[in-house]
Amino acid sequence: MSEEIGNIVLDVLAKHTQIDREKVTLETRLNSVGVDSLMMVEIIFELEERFDISIPDPEFAGQQNKQFETVADVVRVVKELIEQQQTTS
Amino acid sequence: MKRIVVTGMGCISALGHDCNEFSRKLLRGESGIGPITEFDTEDLIVKVAAEVKDYDGSVLFPEKQLAQIDRFSQFALLASKEAIADSGLDLKGRLSERTAVVHGTGVGGQSTQETSSYRIFEGAKRLHPFTVARLMPSAGASWISMEFGIIGPTFATTSACASSGHAIAMALMMMRAGMADVAVTGGSEASVTAGTIRAWEGLRVMAKDTCRPFCRTRGGMVIGEGAGTLILETLEHAQARGAKIYAELIGVGMSADAHNLIQPLAEGAARAMRAALDDAGVSPEAVDYINAHGTATAQNDPTETEAIHAVFGSHAARIAVSSTKSMHGHTLGASSALEAIAAIVALNEQIAPPTANFREPDPQCDLDYVPNTARPMHIEVALSNSFAFGGLNTSLLFRRYPTKS
Repeated sequence: MSEEIGNIVLDVLAKHTQIDREKVTLETRLNSVGVDSLMMVEIIFELEERFDISIPDPEFAGQQNKQFETVADVVRVVKELIEQQQTTS
Repeated sequence: MKRIVVTGMGCISALGHDCNEFSRKLLRGESGIGPITEFDTEDLIVKVAAEVKDYDGSVLFPEKQLAQIDRFSQFALLASKEAIADSGLDLKGRLSERTAVVHGTGVGGQSTQETSSYRIFEGAKRLHPFTVARLMPSAGASWISMEFGIIGPTFATTSACASSGHAIAMALMMMRAGMADVAVTGGSEASVTAGTIRAWEGLRVMAKDTCRPFCRTRGGMVIGEGAGTLILETLEHAQARGAKIYAELIGVGMSADAHNLIQPLAEGAARAMRAALDDAGVSPEAVDYINAHGTATAQNDPTETEAIHAVFGSHAARIAVSSTKSMHGHTLGASSALEAIAAIVALNEQIAPPTANFREPDPQCDLDYVPNTARPMHIEVALSNSFAFGGLNTSLLFRRYPTKS
């Protein structure tokens, strides 16, 4: 499951950035592949829909761009939220 | 070129049901933002808005009319009724033909649209016969025309959060061109609805507590509702009847970013401000106060700050810049009109309204935002900015009347 989550995140990222799936890894920095705040909103929406989770906003609007720096950050948050959901349901 | 002045004002917003209450609360720095009361917010992330309070349309409008009039048109009518009464104009006879109505809205009859769609998806076989007439974005302009017997050029403008800025600009240009002597202009919005709030949540630009423009710890925008109406009149017409004159509308600037549906562009904002200054033929140094677009999103506030620096250079540091959205919320299609009234209040009272809810400066936003407390100061010229989604911008430039300079 864990690996599957990582793969789905990478799929979603590759789709939105239109970069070859093989070229994105967990270490890829989001801003290096052109993910701006607007694209991030679309990516978050798709991940929320796919995993039926709700990814919260940071406390301040200005922190939005710093919330996720690498693909690994996204994968970690998604995994945590999925686990939380499984333990509460 | 004909000079155009403001001879009447009316508004309804989270800061009260008329202009007196609006200006009093505005200058006190009182915020009208609070928990949403019109519908259940249990499942929503965003639970605050700047709603019009203590409002019950059913006691203000006859039952027969209520079936035909959406909340946004109710607001448009109430603001216009106040403005026309305030102007002392008798819009009858020949003047009814020489008067224009240009009233903007971002979305129009949103609550009608949502409740009708809900009924259909729930299996309803029919909708109220006036559904179409309630929800059309031009309904507000039509109601103003019908209620006050105005038969000159009448239409609505729509450009998201600059809708009423474009309305006021259109009215000004028609009057300069001699097509009307008087205009009832402004805008209205009533989209604090479950569907709209949900849609805005998706953009992740919404504050969960309150609106803190230009503040480092700003959390985003807060949706508001209401309407604002200005009575514009040619100076000669106003003088001939000895009208009270609030201010002169000396210039408008309009521009498009041609960039992105959501993200703002400093260059587009700067071009709108420069266009307003050019239209009025005044130098940037003449501007004392700016009512900023100031939505309190991560993107807008630094971008608008950058644009103000670009236009005003070293004078930018001497301008009082405030966002009154911190008090009346972001009223979308009504915002340019409400904020034009705020700018005119500043000119008349010689007090810059504050940016409320301000906690700490953001290094990216380094202008004088008049934090939390209104400031008595000399204000001869005031600019009001609106930079809409889709990159559609307006800047309105008002001068004190009679001017001292």
